[in-house]
Amino acid sequence: MNQLVENLNALMGGLFLLAAFGMVAMRQARGCLNLFITQSVLLAASAALLGVRYHSEHLYGVAIVNLISKPLIVPWLLRKTSLEEIYTRREVDQVLNIPTALLIALGLTILAYFLGRPLSNAVGSEFRGPNVSIGIAGLLLGAFTLTVRREAVPLLLGVLAMENGAFFAGIAISRNLPMLVELAIATDGLIIVFIMGVLTRAVQKHIGTTAVGELAALKEEAAEPASEEVLAK
Amino acid sequence: MSVIVLLLIPLAATALVCLPLKRAWPMGVTVAANLALLILTARLAWWVADGNAAVSAPQVWLLKWIAVDGLSALILLLIALVATTAAIFSIGYLGHENLPPFKLRLYYANYNLFIFSMLAVPVLAEPTLVWIVVELTTLCSALLVSFDNTREALEASWKYVLLSLMGAGLALFGFLVLFAAMQASGVQTAYTWNGLVAAAPKMPPILLQTSFVFILIGLGTKVGLVPMHTWLPDAHSQAPSPVCALLSGVETTAVLYVILRLFPVMHASPGAHAEIWALVLGLISVGTAAFLLLQVRDYKRMFAYSTVEHMGVILTAVGLGAAVAGYGAMQQILAHSVTKSFCFFAAGSVLLMAGTREIAAVRELVRRSPVAGAALVFGGLAITGAPPLAIFLSEFTILKAGLTQGQYLATGLLAAFIVIAFFGVMLHVNRMVFGSPTEGRMNGSSDKWMNGSQPASSDGATTPSIHQSKSPPIQPARLPFSCGLALVLAAIPVLVLGLYMPEPLHELLTQAAAVLK
Amino acid sequence: MTQRILFNLLQVLVVMIFAPLASGVSSRLKEIIQSKRGPSIFQPYRDLWKLFHKDEIVSEDSSWVFRFTPYMVFVAPIFVTLLIPVLTNYPLFFAFMGDMLGGGFVLSLGGFFATLAAVDTANPYGPVGASRTRMVGFLAEPVFMIVFFTVSFVAGSTIPYIVQQKWVTPLANFFLPSHVLLVLAFLMLILAEGGRIPVDNPTGHFELAMIDESKSLEYSGRGFALMKWGGQMKFFVLLCIFLNVLVTPWGLAGNQTLGAISLLPPVTGPDLRLIAVLLAIPLVLFKILCFLLVLVAIESSLSKLRLFRISEFLGAAFITSVAAMIAQVFL
Repeated sequence: MNQLVENLNALMGGLFLLAAFGMVAMRQARGCLNLFITQSVLLAASAALLGVRYHSEHLYGVAIVNLISKPLIVPWLLRKTSLEEIYTRREVDQVLNIPTALLIALGLTILAYFLGRPLSNAVGSEFRGPNVSIGIAGLLLGAFTLTVRREAVPLLLGVLAMENGAFFAGIAISRNLPMLVELAIATDGLIIVFIMGVLTRAVQKHIGTTAVGELAALKEEAAEPASEEVLAK
Repeated sequence: MSVIVLLLIPLAATALVCLPLKRAWPMGVTVAANLALLILTARLAWWVADGNAAVSAPQVWLLKWIAVDGLSALILLLIALVATTAAIFSIGYLGHENLPPFKLRLYYANYNLFIFSMLAVPVLAEPTLVWIVVELTTLCSALLVSFDNTREALEASWKYVLLSLMGAGLALFGFLVLFAAMQASGVQTAYTWNGLVAAAPKMPPILLQTSFVFILIGLGTKVGLVPMHTWLPDAHSQAPSPVCALLSGVETTAVLYVILRLFPVMHASPGAHAEIWALVLGLISVGTAAFLLLQVRDYKRMFAYSTVEHMGVILTAVGLGAAVAGYGAMQQILAHSVTKSFCFFAAGSVLLMAGTREIAAVRELVRRSPVAGAALVFGGLAITGAPPLAIFLSEFTILKAGLTQGQYLATGLLAAFIVIAFFGVMLHVNRMVFGSPTEGRMNGSSDKWMNGSQPASSDGATTPSIHQSKSPPIQPARLPFSCGLALVLAAIPVLVLGLYMPEPLHELLTQAAAVLK
Repeated sequence: MTQRILFNLLQVLVVMIFAPLASGVSSRLKEIIQSKRGPSIFQPYRDLWKLFHKDEIVSEDSSWVFRFTPYMVFVAPIFVTLLIPVLTNYPLFFAFMGDMLGGGFVLSLGGFFATLAAVDTANPYGPVGASRTRMVGFLAEPVFMIVFFTVSFVAGSTIPYIVQQKWVTPLANFFLPSHVLLVLAFLMLILAEGGRIPVDNPTGHFELAMIDESKSLEYSGRGFALMKWGGQMKFFVLLCIFLNVLVTPWGLAGNQTLGAISLLPPVTGPDLRLIAVLLAIPLVLFKILCFLLVLVAIESSLSKLRLFRISEFLGAAFITSVAAMIAQVFL
């Protein structure tokens, strides 16, 4: 039974990794959102499985909190604060072409495994599975997503994916964080979505596009002087 | 108990500001609330400096994690001070443009919320809660940075939020590993800063080192350490000037405080090296910022790079390691907060008078507005460490500590970078305040303000000298009263601290430095 | 021993006879999903019968490659059938003649000759399709390699029969992350090699968009029949490898058991094994039917990828297989 649970947990980890890869490569904003929801569900599943393995109700609580906040509330909040049409955006040309980005992501995953092994061994002798390494991989892949994507929604989801990754490692090594802290972190995630949604709406309204990665007006070599909007103040 | 009141005041102010009363209502509430904060934090700091530790009485639920010691009290005091002067400056700054009342209320509500989130950082003792509040500071200030709703402001705000949250994600992992390290050490203490110091000797060094590196890089993004600083010049220049003063003056310091809290933990553990990281990262930041200062085109960006430089100086001071260097770091924190807020008030005044952020488009400021010109010169001198102002004393302390420690290379580099920064800033300030208008005007927009109410001529840049001889003398303009008041209020600590360190402050700084050991 | 040779030949017969059935069922299911009636599931048999009775026209400008290829394409999957578990889970007579890598190479030998033949005819659409087929093939090779390597790493051998035992034994092994990821990668590979949507449209008639179909554009009569049959057999063989080795290694005839059920009476005799093998045939066909349902669902819900995006699709397959390898090695 324990072996089955451990293997299932490893399976959740493998699919979690795959979802993180998908977020790097997926062109559509809506597809990215679906992958993020999948990733959050897998995180909750892994937490529940680890709870079964360690007989810890605390982890069940973590699973439930994650299951409610990320797959359900985050998309709803996103729909409320930013405009519906940003979901139809897809990136026609990317910063890096997709196969190259996937190969770099693979390299980051291998790096994460090398980082995660000694950490996992140093914490103790209980079963920990691949959670720490996959968590670090999720973290690094989320950061990588932030550098290669241009549209607003994938950038926001990259930030949340980084937190997912950190949490995926956390449920294995720091299991007894007070429940209050878990709830506060979940609420924090929601506030992030709210603020970034409002910002995206403002960007869309005043600039006209949500390809925020392409905004590059603030540089040292700016040729024109400060624009007329400043004079109008 | 007073600590909780400290946190409740800004929340109450936020709620009150939202009431749709007279136009002056939000401003009055904010200034009053921040003055109250200043008084309370001063009392708290005095009490802590006398050697008492402030812990809130009922040890239940969230409250059991509230604790204030020397370092926290210093940061609280600085936050309250800058918040008050920035609130006063906001009155004149925002009143200048006829904003709809809804936007004005939004600004002040956001302002108070931002102050609340910053106040919560030094007050909480549980590292993960501190992380949450640090993220909250990012989120509460995001809409303030994009307040102008121009293209550049929105881009700056987006970059700020994105990079800060990316850093926060890395830091979250670091905090989780720290928690794991504490559990692995087997010592049964609460997960607070003091508990960590107690458990540190038994923690597995690799866990502690990993978490330190992750937290340094993650929160270092928010502090503005190089190479994660790319958002800082944008955000700290595009925000409205009082918000810039808050961001540069106290917010980066508050996040640096969180990093500094890890140093005693690292000292207590035998296998962990923290100083070398701090020294290297600090020197890289100072150096890069100093060189970048030479080629800025926007004077608010100039002050933002100066923030990066000073954060690097503080980190270098902590990395030098001696007790005197720790005291120097605290002094630098104090001096930098008050001076940087003054600089941004000066920059805001210049922006009001000149209408442009470009250095090349601002000339002969001393004619247009002597107050703004004088403030800019004073600010430039102060921030780069000219005697007899506050930063000179603190940098002197740090350099002296470095030399007595025997770290000649690090101290030499630090001194060289500070000198380069001095040249950079004063070069630009000098041109702006005393420069003759015949050098390097960019286009007709700058003619508009220099020639008062006359319409701009069409051939501005091509025939400067002919044009200048025909133009009437520059009309001086008035700075709003509250802006001037804020400038004076902010200048007083800068002057005083350069000459004399009051005894209670000295006690406070010593207490704060002792926390670092 | 003669029984093992007999079973091996029985495997070949099964593949030869039922491959067109699989193709017919697949096209009928696709039509049903589109709310049409669709042709009878035995239509491919009638097509093959008709084609064998027709005249063959061969271009004068083609060489011996053009005439030789249909036989090559027909025989290659038969060779591979000798190596893989189709009906039994114990190794048969020819099982150690080649391993999975060898089988893969033999299959691609058939594809190689088909490509050459397409270029041979000087019909402009032939080389267009041939070059595209080669592109898909060369991008799919690394995935093949890594899948096979990972599978052998897990099982400790590259012979399919032995690999299959490893997955079966503790049920928990079925949920190993490397297993699931390998299944995903191999599924994407089947879509690519079999010329299915999203890589290629098997029912398309527009020559400029053809990838796999173009290899049989110039053939007629017996050559065409052999090319068609060979293509159907190749797909059937890929399905057998996928299902019997990777996904559902159950329901095959064992030495004394059929799948996990032990046959009564426990006295083993040659007749009992023959009955077990004959009983395994409908089970294998049932597994293939279930998988065809899944395949048809996938095909009907996706659209054909633009040509330059096929490299992204196969790149994703490659990443999945490498992730499986990482999950296995570093676990």
